[in-house]
Amino acid sequence: MSSLQELQHGFIDYLLGQPSDISQHIQSTPGLPAEKRLNIYAYAYKARLKEAIGTDYEQLHSYLGDEQFDQLLERFIEKYPSEETNLRYYSINMPTLLRNEEPFNNLPILAEIAEIEAAFANSFDAADSTILTINDLASLPETAWETLSFELHPSLQLLSYNFNSFAVWKALSDEETPPETVQYNSPETWLMWRDSQLITRYRPVLNEEASALAFARQGQSFPAICEALLDYFSEDEVPVKAITFLQTWMQEGLVSKLHY
Amino acid sequence: MDAKQDMKNDDARPFLGFGLGLRTEHYQHVIEHKPEVDWFEIISENYMVPGGKPLANLDKIRADYPMVMHGVSMSIGSTDPLNKNYLNDLKTLINRVEPYWYSDHLCWTHAHNTNSHDLLPLPYNEDTINHLAARISQVQDFIGRPMLVENLSSYVTYNESVMSEWEFLNEIAKRSGCYILLDINNIFVSAHNHQFKPKDYIDGIDNERVMQFHLAGHSYQGDMIIDTHDHDVCDPVWDLYAYALQRFGAVSTMIERDDNIPDFSELRQELAIAEDVATKTLSTEQLHVAGQPVLKGVA
Repeated sequence: MSSLQELQHGFIDYLLGQPSDISQHIQSTPGLPAEKRLNIYAYAYKARLKEAIGTDYEQLHSYLGDEQFDQLLERFIEKYPSEETNLRYYSINMPTLLRNEEPFNNLPILAEIAEIEAAFANSFDAADSTILTINDLASLPETAWETLSFELHPSLQLLSYNFNSFAVWKALSDEETPPETVQYNSPETWLMWRDSQLITRYRPVLNEEASALAFARQGQSFPAICEALLDYFSEDEVPVKAITFLQTWMQEGLVSKLHY
Repeated sequence: MDAKQDMKNDDARPFLGFGLGLRTEHYQHVIEHKPEVDWFEIISENYMVPGGKPLANLDKIRADYPMVMHGVSMSIGSTDPLNKNYLNDLKTLINRVEPYWYSDHLCWTHAHNTNSHDLLPLPYNEDTINHLAARISQVQDFIGRPMLVENLSSYVTYNESVMSEWEFLNEIAKRSGCYILLDINNIFVSAHNHQFKPKDYIDGIDNERVMQFHLAGHSYQGDMIIDTHDHDVCDPVWDLYAYALQRFGAVSTMIERDDNIPDFSELRQELAIAEDVATKTLSTEQLHVAGQPVLKGVA
């Protein structure tokens, strides 16, 4: 290991609170010994990460309050030294930590609130793509429907929750008292996407539409999507239901490309 | 003006005038009001994302203003291999923005599988010079253009340092062919923290390598000054700026504000002080951009 590499490893160990001999390489001055000088960096390391996480999870912060949120930040920073070049992505493991670690997983809604906030961040700067309109559907040749498949907008996310997390998140973001936590009998799915004005939209979706969207996202053809919908509707109902879904998706700007 | 060509000619330093750091808080104002600012500096990493509003706003503002790009994550002084993904993303952004130039810091940020997200200082010696000069050359070859390297505020000095920071910076610029982004506030901060004379730094820097100035505010924390970018530029830094203008002539100047960010108009007023200092220090002939007077006054 080169001497520069040794210095850098020692410096990083110091920032992370690990045993380090870096202070032996730092000049002390009468008013400021090496440790005090190094502590400026150690403090800044943690403060900067805390600020980044706080920006990403504002409503989780509101829900937990300052003290418990700070405990969470301390644990997150201890568990996940940053390997990201861009601070934007540092906190992506927050839902995982909340889901897997005590005491945070004693309140399962915490992981879901964090997932909602992470989903908004992902939608905000997801890749750009064309957004088709209902007119693009109207101009399709009749033969296209036999093989028609879809490329959905890169910002589109299907989010599944066991609790009334969206209602709690919405109340927090409106600075209102959140409702009591309610656990659903079966998971509820929400759809989130970024519209043509770059505004993030969201709405709940029933299982049948969630299933159709998931199939569409996999690149399945329109006839295959119709077949999947037979789990929810009669053979007579399926064509109308499938077309209705598709029209809604086109109107909402969820579809980027049509392949046939 | 073709910045790439001009940067090959040491005798003709391109002068862009007076700029500001572009911050999200000011997007709407800049897009709607198109305030009188010669150019904006962007933080490269803020736009190294797949898409959405950051890039859409960037494109809108770029259509109206010249830009330069300023990065914080190249980690040019690290002993880790250069981050190819980062450099690819940086090159993609450079192709999109077409900036006059791009810069990063005389520091390291990532090592030992960890990113500090901070600008960590280096020991100033021959080994480090060789290390940095080689890596900067690699970056410049990959990007296809010379880069600017900025002096930082620092709080520690290594026992392994055997020369001044300005000697170190000069040597790296000479060997790698990079240019210098001279942060006047960082000189002031480091001079206080390490007990040297700030004017010695300015006197010691090679004139022909200086391409841009940064100005910013700082905070006192006990016996140290911390480079917080959360205050106005203070009077001693304005004085040092005037001294730097006397030494280097007209150099593209901008104000960095990263915290406690005021309204755009307030920041623009502060930039007018830089214009005023330059007017009092330099000749009218020096303060021209592409043949036009650069000073527009406050909108």
